Amino acid sequence: MKCKVCSRQAQTQSEYCEFHEKAYQNISQKFEVWKRASGVDWKEYLREVAKNQFTGTWAKEVAESLLSKEA
Amino acid sequence: MTLMEKYTLIITEKPDAAQRIAEALDSKGKPKKAEEKTVPYFMANRDKPLVVVPALGHLYTVVHEHGRRNYYPVFNFKWAPRHLAEKGAKQIKTWIDIIAKLAENADGFIDACDFDIEGAIIGYTILKHACKDKDAVATRMKYSTLMKAELEKSYADQMPHLDFAMIEAGRTRHEVDWLYGVNVSRALTLAANRWSGRYSTLSTGRVQGPTLKFLVARERSIHSFVPIPYWSILAEVEIRGSKYLVDYEKKTMERKADADAVVEACKGKTGQIEKIEEKTMQVTPPIPFDLGSLQSEAYSLFGYTPSRTGGIAERLYLEALISYPRTSSQKLPPVIGYKDILSGLSREPAYQKLAAELLEKGELKPREGPKEDPAHPAVYPTGNTPSRVLDESERRIWDLVVRRFMAVFGEPGVKQSMKASINVNGHHFYLRGRRILKEGWMRFYKPYLRTEEVSLPAIKEGETIRLSNIGREDKFTKPPPRYNPSSLLKRMEEEGIGTKATRAEIIETLYSRKYVTEERIVVTDLGFDVIEVLRKYAPGVISVKLTRDLEEKMDRIQNNLEKRENILLEAVERLKPVLTELKQREEVIGEALSNAIKRARMQERIIGECPSCHTGKLMILFSRRTKKRFIGCTNYFKGACKTSFPLPQRGTTKPTGKLCKGCGWPLLFVHIRGKRPWNLCFNPNCPKKEERRKRLEMQGLQQTSPDSK
Repeated sequence: MKCKVCSRQAQTQSEYCEFHEKAYQNISQKFEVWKRASGVDWKEYLREVAKNQFTGTWAKEVAESLLSKEA
Repeated sequence: MTLMEKYTLIITEKPDAAQRIAEALDSKGKPKKAEEKTVPYFMANRDKPLVVVPALGHLYTVVHEHGRRNYYPVFNFKWAPRHLAEKGAKQIKTWIDIIAKLAENADGFIDACDFDIEGAIIGYTILKHACKDKDAVATRMKYSTLMKAELEKSYADQMPHLDFAMIEAGRTRHEVDWLYGVNVSRALTLAANRWSGRYSTLSTGRVQGPTLKFLVARERSIHSFVPIPYWSILAEVEIRGSKYLVDYEKKTMERKADADAVVEACKGKTGQIEKIEEKTMQVTPPIPFDLGSLQSEAYSLFGYTPSRTGGIAERLYLEALISYPRTSSQKLPPVIGYKDILSGLSREPAYQKLAAELLEKGELKPREGPKEDPAHPAVYPTGNTPSRVLDESERRIWDLVVRRFMAVFGEPGVKQSMKASINVNGHHFYLRGRRILKEGWMRFYKPYLRTEEVSLPAIKEGETIRLSNIGREDKFTKPPPRYNPSSLLKRMEEEGIGTKATRAEIIETLYSRKYVTEERIVVTDLGFDVIEVLRKYAPGVISVKLTRDLEEKMDRIQNNLEKRENILLEAVERLKPVLTELKQREEVIGEALSNAIKRARMQERIIGECPSCHTGKLMILFSRRTKKRFIGCTNYFKGACKTSFPLPQRGTTKPTGKLCKGCGWPLLFVHIRGKRPWNLCFNPNCPKKEERRKRLEMQGLQQTSPDSK
């Protein structure tokens, strides 16, 4: 199976390749911190992450892919 | 003297060093310069006739003993003249022939190459191969500066034989590097070529691989980074009409609501100074430069890459302005003659007062660092002043070395910091100031200090102060910083991979192989994929631990604690399974690398954003129909944008990464053989083009008008 974001091979039991999987894990882990810090919900959080200048390229791609799923 | 008499042949590493040594050793200080087929050498007279001949760095290198270039594994090697192994090294043959000819009439041989591993190998291979086994009878000169007195002493106290332990360590290092470089690079190159049918060279090396691995690891953390928000308080107080920034008691706050609460509680309020604390601290002098710290300081002060600093330091050494720079020592032994150096430096007006100040001290004792180098002391100025006008970069490095040398003899400095604690509605803010009470060593190193004094107004405890401004600052955590050439070199040093002589060069190789780009280092797709392939199929080749382990064992050879043969065997045994795995997986590796090469080639042709659709990228393309090259938008293939521009059909064109100052469009570099290269703005409506056209028209009018006649 191909990664949901790029054309690389997806990891077993994952929708993402090795690189995007790591970015996905980071996004998942940091949601709680964001929620506690500024009270955002999941969708707002993804939007903030996707537009933030410090977000890494892979994390941005995953956030955008998750947002499109939400829509 | 004539070349008919018997003489002692002295071999040096570079022509400048040969001239200096000949001048120092000739009893009249005027050796005769000769030149044969562009190879210079010097004839001098001392206790007996001397001929001083330079090498051109390494004249010999490790090569495959026999066989084709396109297979692996290869474990049989020999040392051979460089021109047999490298393209464009034809002059090496002439050089070796002349040294061999000069050796025929010599009855004594002295190796006077730089006293380190590379110098040891250069001298040894010349004596062994060009001079026909004279390594066994040659003596060795050891020196750290090209100053006359030191060279004379070094000639008088020659070591009775070559430093064979150092030679063995150097040979092993070159041979192990060759085994790794040739085998793994061939495996990668052949895998890619067999898959794609197109030739392109891929390389890696014993130290290059682990170094690129650091960069890829950092790149991965940056790409998958998710920032976290945090907040801080920005506040200002007003004291007798002047405003001062104050720090809030908590530097950062994890919740926005907490930051808002502080602002709300303190806005428009006054506070009271509860306590004023003053602290004085001693600032110890810096330690002398070894090569790594010199490179690091030059990068942070002037932005020079480590290899540039290394090159400049080498030139200053060859002009006898500084000591041998490829050292890892942070020690300055008294034998270098502190007072003589300072007296010499005082001839330079900029250092006159500073040097005099140190000379007035009774005893000179430098502050030293912990690192030692058995071959050379730390980098220091010789006391000579330049005999020509140094260019800006040379002048800067020399000044840095001189000032650091003086600073290490300085007294400790004393700094004072002040902190006033202001209570505003139960919240604490700090007003901070700092000043230098005693300059000490800082006087000598002033141009390169980064401390800033912040003076505070006269205040006292109990005084009431108005908080004139307060606000919340929204911030985010930042991804780990990218390496730059200097921080990467430092990391290599810390990890114990590479040597002081090779680290800067390895970083340059990463750039020239297009594995990395930019000053704040960005790993290219190609660099990324090479490491990914090695990580999956040959992790041992990029293992920092295994590389360091091998480095340590090679260092032990220099102390006669390990044998070259053992290390070579170990390297071969480590490589065998790696190469078998690479061969078995050739197809999958070939596919991954070919795709990476394809992407890299594509990337090289991308010029910048399309000015029409703003979503596509402009690229240099080639039309199969018209057989012409042009610039087109990548969205053309999706049928979304038809933007295209013509290009010169001759010569080479490539993106510059710079923008036109007239219109902001990307610039192209064009080079047509026989013509001066230029940067081309392909925007047909660029205002610069219009300006130029008008200027040319005006010139034409002036030339044809009657007044101009």
